[in-house]
Amino acid sequence: MSSANLPRTEASVLRGHEGAVLAARFNANGEYCLSCGKDRTIRLWNPHRGLHIKTYKSHGREVRDVHVTPDNSKLCSCGGDRQVFYWDVATGRVIRKFRGHDSEVNAVKFNDYASVVVSAGYDRSLRAWDCRSHSTEPIQIIDTFSDSVMSVCLSKTEIIAGSVDGTVRTFDIRIGREISDNLGQPVNCISLSNDGNCVLASCLDSTLRLLDRSSGELLQEYKGHTCKSFKMDCCLTNTDAHVTGGSEDGYIYFWDLVDAQVVSSFRAHSSVVTSVSYHPKDDCMITASVDGTIRVWKP
Amino acid sequence: MSSDDEDFVFYGTPIEREDEITTRKKKAISGASGQLRTVLPPWKQEVTDEEGRRRFHGAFTGGFSAGYYNSVGSKEGWTPQSFTSSRKSRAEVKQQSIYNFLDEDEKAEFEGRSLGTSMQFDTFGFTAAELARKQAEKEQQKGFVFLSNLFTISSSFAGSMPSTIPGPVPDELIVPATESIGVKLLLKMGWRQGRSIKDSNRNSLSDARRQARKAFLALSDNVGRDIAHSKLDEEDTGNVPDLPADDDNQLSKSMPEINLCYFVLERKRLKMSGKREMEGCSSLSIKGKIGPGFGIGALEDLDAEDEDVYDSGYDFQDTYVQEIEEPSRTSTDTLRILDAKKHDVLPGFKVASHSDRILDRRDRFDPPEIPKDFVPHHKFLAPLGNEGERAETPPAEVPAPEDNNLKVLIEGVAALVARCGKLFEDLSKEKNQSNPLFDFLRGGNGSDFYARKLWEERQKHGEQTKLWEGKKPQNSEQLTAERRGKILGEKALERSSRDSSSFIASASSVNVNLNFQIHSLNLHQLMSNRILENLLMMTLESKKRFEQFLKEKYEGGLRTKDSGGSSNMSEAARARERLEFEAAAEAIQKGNSGKERKATSQLLSDLSATAALQFTTGGVEIGKVPQDDELITKAMYPRREEFQWRPAPILCKRFDLIDPYMGKPPPAPRVRSKMDSLIFMPDSIKTAIVEDHVSMEHKSSLVPQMDKGKIGQEATENEVQNEVEVENVGRPVDLYKAIFSDDSDDEENTTSDQVEDTQKKIEAANTTLNRLIAGDFLESLGKELGLMVPPEMPLPENKGVQKEKVNVDKGNSDSLSTEIMSATRNVVGSSTNGGITKKTDMRVDGIEERYMNTHKTRNNSSSEDERSRKQSRSHRRKSSSSDSDTSNDSKDYRDRHRSKSRRKDKGSSREKSSSRRHSKHRKHRRKDSPSRSHHSSGKEHEYRKRKKSAQMKLYCLVLTVFRLMLCSVSVFHLHGRNPSSLSGCLWLVRRWWLMLFLDKILGRYFEFEFNTTDCFLFSLDSLKFSLYSLVTFFLEPSLPGTDAFLRCKQSTDRFSSSSSSF
Repeated sequence: MSSANLPRTEASVLRGHEGAVLAARFNANGEYCLSCGKDRTIRLWNPHRGLHIKTYKSHGREVRDVHVTPDNSKLCSCGGDRQVFYWDVATGRVIRKFRGHDSEVNAVKFNDYASVVVSAGYDRSLRAWDCRSHSTEPIQIIDTFSDSVMSVCLSKTEIIAGSVDGTVRTFDIRIGREISDNLGQPVNCISLSNDGNCVLASCLDSTLRLLDRSSGELLQEYKGHTCKSFKMDCCLTNTDAHVTGGSEDGYIYFWDLVDAQVVSSFRAHSSVVTSVSYHPKDDCMITASVDGTIRVWKP
Repeated sequence: MSSDDEDFVFYGTPIEREDEITTRKKKAISGASGQLRTVLPPWKQEVTDEEGRRRFHGAFTGGFSAGYYNSVGSKEGWTPQSFTSSRKSRAEVKQQSIYNFLDEDEKAEFEGRSLGTSMQFDTFGFTAAELARKQAEKEQQKGFVFLSNLFTISSSFAGSMPSTIPGPVPDELIVPATESIGVKLLLKMGWRQGRSIKDSNRNSLSDARRQARKAFLALSDNVGRDIAHSKLDEEDTGNVPDLPADDDNQLSKSMPEINLCYFVLERKRLKMSGKREMEGCSSLSIKGKIGPGFGIGALEDLDAEDEDVYDSGYDFQDTYVQEIEEPSRTSTDTLRILDAKKHDVLPGFKVASHSDRILDRRDRFDPPEIPKDFVPHHKFLAPLGNEGERAETPPAEVPAPEDNNLKVLIEGVAALVARCGKLFEDLSKEKNQSNPLFDFLRGGNGSDFYARKLWEERQKHGEQTKLWEGKKPQNSEQLTAERRGKILGEKALERSSRDSSSFIASASSVNVNLNFQIHSLNLHQLMSNRILENLLMMTLESKKRFEQFLKEKYEGGLRTKDSGGSSNMSEAARARERLEFEAAAEAIQKGNSGKERKATSQLLSDLSATAALQFTTGGVEIGKVPQDDELITKAMYPRREEFQWRPAPILCKRFDLIDPYMGKPPPAPRVRSKMDSLIFMPDSIKTAIVEDHVSMEHKSSLVPQMDKGKIGQEATENEVQNEVEVENVGRPVDLYKAIFSDDSDDEENTTSDQVEDTQKKIEAANTTLNRLIAGDFLESLGKELGLMVPPEMPLPENKGVQKEKVNVDKGNSDSLSTEIMSATRNVVGSSTNGGITKKTDMRVDGIEERYMNTHKTRNNSSSEDERSRKQSRSHRRKSSSSDSDTSNDSKDYRDRHRSKSRRKDKGSSREKSSSRRHSKHRKHRRKDSPSRSHHSSGKEHEYRKRKKSAQMKLYCLVLTVFRLMLCSVSVFHLHGRNPSSLSGCLWLVRRWWLMLFLDKILGRYFEFEFNTTDCFLFSLDSLKFSLYSLVTFFLEPSLPGTDAFLRCKQSTDRFSSSSSSF
């Protein structure tokens, strides 16, 4: 049905990053996108028009992840310099730097109210930082992981994080429980389904696994791509009908959510596809790659 | 000079310093030029450095000299490198090498050994090679035997050589080296350009040996010469030119130590060549009168063998008696032994020639018997079909049968058999016994064509199937399980021959048959499927494992733990294999799933099935059984676990959620302070932590608000510290309640109707005040005056006493004796500290007070005890005034003390400015007696030390003045009014009235006292504050209205603290 509408044609290429692009993210309404990479910059783009809007430079090392508040006013980013930067989008200045991670920070996310930044670090911890106060101390440190935390997702009431120790852990703030789903394989990236009921975990055995969040049941496995050593994103399409993810050979894969068949796969980049981000409403996708480009895909 | 010389008579031999120096220089020069000095006896030798200086002196003449003027190796010595790095000029990363840490001589030693590239080394450099060749030729012409260069070049020896130019070598002969020394050496050793080094080396070595032997012969007699010659003949390669006879003579004339070298060399060689030679030679060596223990020759390499040069490895005494003829006999013996053994020895092997190996047999086993027909050449069993086949004569070319179907079938089967092995043929033969189409397998129609085809196929796939086909049963030499079974008379398993397998196999064969008939497909193309290829590449055992894997996978059944994989496989290999199997099985499954649609895939699956059929039943059921393997992993993962996790309250707040743990104690109670643990601990443990408690309390006592809060908390028992804090913040009203609410009458303030407190409250107020007085006042005043306020550190001994005391209090024990003891100890301590009787007196006073305190504590209510437990040390050490208020039974002590102190006060007021020293003392007194006896003892000590400072004096003066002033204030203020009006005073205070009032007084007193002093430098505010403090402890509690004033003080405290924020 919707497989015909999968974004398979390249709409534009966003060039500007020098070196690998490590993450590319749509903003909340999908109008803009942010990218960050090895050149220590964060870039703001209009992917639909292929425009580069702004560059944010302050990181001392590679920037591994970036996230923007729903109101597009603030950014948070993290990277190899062990800090979480809290930016003002308009001025491009760093409002605050949250220091505390003992090593590289892999992922960062705002909560819904943009009041807390949660960062996931190589130091096996999740840290929550308060944006409201002027304190630069973490308001919470979660260090139950036994290996590097690769990815973090926030829902309204939960913090979900995937770690190389093979677990996807859900920290339910509301009930004060930690639920650990052990997948047995290092988890590279996690992504919430749009209905919030499932979590898609990209494992390093070249498999995407879809988990039911309430029961912890493995719903489906998606195979075919290569994901063995890189931190690569995966996500569900905006309709939750398909699962998409990059491959280390530069391919993009689309799987049917239910029967896990590869609906489509095509070569998108010349090198590892580090990041994929699906438009929240439209059939549009951006992919970022080690080859330094961000490509916008439309049906 | 000469005349002087004539006059003197000399005794003894003069010390020839000059001479010595010159010889040393000479020696150094000769050493530097590389010439070998004449060997001196060791006691005459001396060690010099490279500049010719002596290295070792006598112990009294400088000892060991080393390095740079006896310091370190360089002028700068051990000066550390200064690290400089800037953004512009980065510090370069220094590559350290071992040479940085070596001394010169070590370096020289090291360089000889190390390998390095030489700038002068030109591999293809023609000029250098040419030059070398020329030089070599030149040297040859000169008759320079390499020996002369190789041996330690003693000048005498060199002189004895038949060199054309006698004496030192002229300069024109010394050509700068154009090639490396290694090349030179090689050249001199006989190596020429274009020759391999190894051979020449060996030649040169044997040359050296020959030379040595000859030199040896020169020394030895005829018999020895014979033996040596025989030896020479034995191992002579024949192309060695003999040296001229006169050479021998010359050698014999040369220095004996060179012969020693020869000898050692010889011995080394002998050691290598065995017992026989050793014996012969050793007998010879005795004749040379040379024992073991002489030096190593220059020719000898540093080998492991050389390590025992000084070892008495050979018993020379034993060999001494041996006859000369013996060696030859033994040699023949050994030869005979060798010959005898010869038939045992395999060609290409040698019997160990080492004597000890041969002789020492008792702990060695005999070599295994070699079978007669054993051919020691390994013949590779033709493992490959094509190799095996190649040896055979290929079957004759046969025309294909007319029947096209048959032809296709034959071709197909041949290809299959070529791929899958002979067993397939057997199998199909077996299965198709009744099938006339397969007659060719049984030698019927088309059998020769089949044979030919089979051969062809094998030729074709020889390479491809090498790996696994090698173990296939085409080779007669190899055993399959089946064959072995047959040989051993085993019966084949029933199942494999019967039920499903036969059916499947026949079915598959039929399928194959059908497919062949339907599609004349090229099997090669089919086989090009990669997975199947992999499958076919499998080795025999892995095939077996695969078969088992399939069986288990699809047929179910009990799984053994390590079903797949042999025991000698590593875990990783097993896993990899398993993955491969999975892939293969999947491929098979896929093929099967598409059976209906695609005949080709059908064929594929069948092929794979038949491939597997060689050993097992294939799988018709393939793919129908659920993959329990994956199920297991699925069952294992994902695994869900749940833990308790406590979100931070602020996180909940930020997420706009209610903290699930709100109000609950923390899951893992982190001990915020030692207070917490203290409170819930039994008494016995408590005492241990009391000190911390006390110190904490003391710290907190610096915060006036908290103290006030505590005053409000008096009634409650065992309250938690943090609770106190909370309530401090929350309820400032309690203070006033504590002060004003209770209306129980006081015996002293009967007239007052509303401002009466209970004992407890007064106590609390007093203690707070005292603390404030003690700590804050002094501190603030001291700060204001620019004095260094000594830290609140009690003297160690006092502290100990306090601790003890605290313990007593805490334990609610009435061990008065301990208290007294501690008090006396305190006295002793203080007296030793100060050594002044006055002070001791004071101390006693303080002890008295404390004694009273404990007394009171003992006798009073438990609430007091509770309080004291809670409160700090300074709480306990209340002022005497407060004590006298509360403790009735100690009234007499108190009174006495009070009167004493008051008397002193009066005295001081009388002679206030006259005796400064006295006043100071009184100040101390004052300070000590009420509250801080212990602290101030330490402080006092310090003050005493600094009493000469003007500031100190001023401080004391001001204090005195304050006190006097307050005296009058108290009189004026309290005696003249009734307490009710005093309580109204609170309002005044709160509205700056009292403040202003006191300001006025202050100002007056200051005017009166010092008009031009620096006292006004400090702010009036702080003065006021200190004034209040002073007032409180200055006033005697017996005075009417004191309590009220104290209350007044309380509020002013608050006030002043609040006013500071104005």
